[in-house]
Amino acid sequence: MPQDLADVYRTTYRALVRFLYRKVWDAERAEDLAQEAFARALVHKPTNARGWLFIVAANMARDEARRAARERRHLTLLTAESQETVPPSDEALHAENEWAQVRTALERLTPRDREALLLWDSGLSYDEIAAQTGLALGAVGTTLGRARRRLVEAYEAGTKGEHVARG
Amino acid sequence: MSHVDDGTLHAYLDGELSPPEAQGVAGHLTQCPGCRGRLEEERAVITRATKLLGRAAPPDRELPPFRPGDVKPLARLWWKTRLPLAWAATVALALGIGMYLGGPSGTHRVPAADDLPNAAPARATAAAKPREPRADAAMKARRETVAALSMRDEIAAAPEGKRAAAKPAAPSISGTVSLGDGRYVLKGPSVSVDSARLLLDADPLEVPDLPIRGIYRARLRGYSAVVVVEQALDSSTVIEVISGRRAPIALEAAVATGAGVERVDTPSAGARALLGRNADVPAAVAPTQDVPPPSPLPRKARRPAADLFLDIRGPLSVDSLAALRRLLQPLRP
Repeated sequence: MPQDLADVYRTTYRALVRFLYRKVWDAERAEDLAQEAFARALVHKPTNARGWLFIVAANMARDEARRAARERRHLTLLTAESQETVPPSDEALHAENEWAQVRTALERLTPRDREALLLWDSGLSYDEIAAQTGLALGAVGTTLGRARRRLVEAYEAGTKGEHVARG
Repeated sequence: MSHVDDGTLHAYLDGELSPPEAQGVAGHLTQCPGCRGRLEEERAVITRATKLLGRAAPPDRELPPFRPGDVKPLARLWWKTRLPLAWAATVALALGIGMYLGGPSGTHRVPAADDLPNAAPARATAAAKPREPRADAAMKARRETVAALSMRDEIAAAPEGKRAAAKPAAPSISGTVSLGDGRYVLKGPSVSVDSARLLLDADPLEVPDLPIRGIYRARLRGYSAVVVVEQALDSSTVIEVISGRRAPIALEAAVATGAGVERVDTPSAGARALLGRNADVPAAVAPTQDVPPPSPLPRKARRPAADLFLDIRGPLSVDSLAALRRLLQPLRP
């Protein structure tokens, strides 16, 4: 791997996994996709590797989501038979519950707000977010502000809803 | 300066304003209690949002080594190794036959041609004297093959080791099907259902109701006939059902028991490497861990099903593969 891409790999790999994880919600898969994005960068040799990687990763995650939706139809039948898991501890249940609520809250955001927020959380700067999403640089702060507020609101609405449901 | 809007407050808190802009905002904040209050609100929102996102973050793992081999280079590797591998298979076969058939006197019986479709050129190689060009070619192919095999083992081992049990499917090399235990089925030419049936002397197995993408003849040590049925689970997932008939006398068994006792040293180190990692360990060769045939026995099979070796491979979890395995049925016309 050329030196510059090796540097990008060191500095950006985890960020890319973090970004992808919030799209595919599977750590293994996110890592695989990140590896694949770097392998493609090796072939394409983009000038701005970091930005390019996030664009490619976003596209791969979208394709992945479509494929997963198709596959789910086939595999429900197969996975239904193999449920021999140990009942998880309360703590694990709690963490899983929170994880699911954050995920739901994230999915309530508009695609543009979510994208900006995930990119920021993966370590991209406002400049990079603007280039990636097509937002004006001056609009990135507004978008992020709105995204953060809505994430918190959606999460809190979700937990409240759950308390009500539990009764 | 007029009041600061929310977007600018976020940019200010994120440290994304240029120094003069940031100074302007800071100056205004000192004079405007309203904006100061909003600043604290937005700061709390940012903290909260960051915390929430942290709860849905991937596990923090060490930076893995870059694996460019996961995408295209594997296919290239396979094209490079295909020829030496094919050579290796024939040479290994010939060596094995030489040791099995050739008595101490060194006479060679000629095996029936239909038993050994690929052995003809290699038989000559094995019988030839070392200095002849053919033998040189064989030596070269052998070296390349040994290198290719060890490379392939590395590829097979590296991701596995890294990701432990999480990834049940062994990495596949185009044109081969990994059995997950270091053995690879070499896929050959496409054949018709009838030919496959003739080869196996039984119906090859399939998962019913899935479209069949292709039926291939294949090779695997210890099996006289192997058929791979490729079936599409969906447009992007292909599974491979492998049916095989054991060789009447397994080659390795012959090397280990029949000829091995009196000529322990006969196979050179190179030949042992060629015969596979298992050549030194006959116990490991005995195919005991093969998947048993599915409970509904193929009714039409003309041979006892116990003779048939079965496995099913695909980019699915172990559980899914096991579920598919239970569905297997003989492929009917």
